[in-house]
Amino acid sequence: MEKNRIRSAIAGGTAGLINGFFGGGGGMILVPLLSRWLKLGDRKAFATSVAIILPLCLLSSIIYLFRGNLDLIAAFPYLLGGAAGGLLGGKLFKKLNMSWLRRGFALLILYAGIRAAFFS
Amino acid sequence: MAAFLAGAVTGILSGFGVGGGTLLLIYMTAWSDIPQTTAQGINLIYFLPTAIMALPTHIKNGFIEKSVLLPAILTGLAGTALSAWIATGLEVDFLHRLFGWFLIYVGISEFLRKPAAPKDDCADRQDIPPE
Repeated sequence: MEKNRIRSAIAGGTAGLINGFFGGGGGMILVPLLSRWLKLGDRKAFATSVAIILPLCLLSSIIYLFRGNLDLIAAFPYLLGGAAGGLLGGKLFKKLNMSWLRRGFALLILYAGIRAAFFS
Repeated sequence: MAAFLAGAVTGILSGFGVGGGTLLLIYMTAWSDIPQTTAQGINLIYFLPTAIMALPTHIKNGFIEKSVLLPAILTGLAGTALSAWIATGLEVDFLHRLFGWFLIYVGISEFLRKPAAPKDDCADRQDIPPE
């Protein structure tokens, strides 16, 4: 089913702005928007957000690189771990219970929100 | 080794689209001696291999909604570039606090929400657990 292009654009743009301003966290708005506003439901919202955030993250990384803030040597073990984890996560995702994932996600958002509101 | 494990565990979550990055940042600032700015940079690029490894499976499983990708990515790139250009320390702090409150609202709302509408795209599929 074709999804609303204007809403998609708004969702993506918002995520990009948030990622750029705060160095991350765009997905915390993007996933609920995709799930409810674009009516993808949770499962497709989570997965699709990965696809959307990837190019945005690439751009942010390039900007960071140009500003001299990237330490590739320190990053290396995390990159390897991330690759392994990402592969595993992709495999596990299909059988995951979305109610639990959403609640865990919600707690993460709450944590990030409290930290941003009170400790930044 | 610890860094690899931290990357792997949070990478699983990032593969789910849940933002293991937040947890990774916590790990890096609390348990490693990586400075804040560097940690943020690592947090950014670690998502690249993580997402690249997770996506083929998501695509194969039919969980990627293709019709939203192009508009969202195009404006997303524009938003990323714009905010990188105009963000200054002063404005961002206030916005950050405000955003924090908004996230608190989103977090509570998502926690209390019932599963997505019965007519979502995956509702008729037999190969995934019911909501």
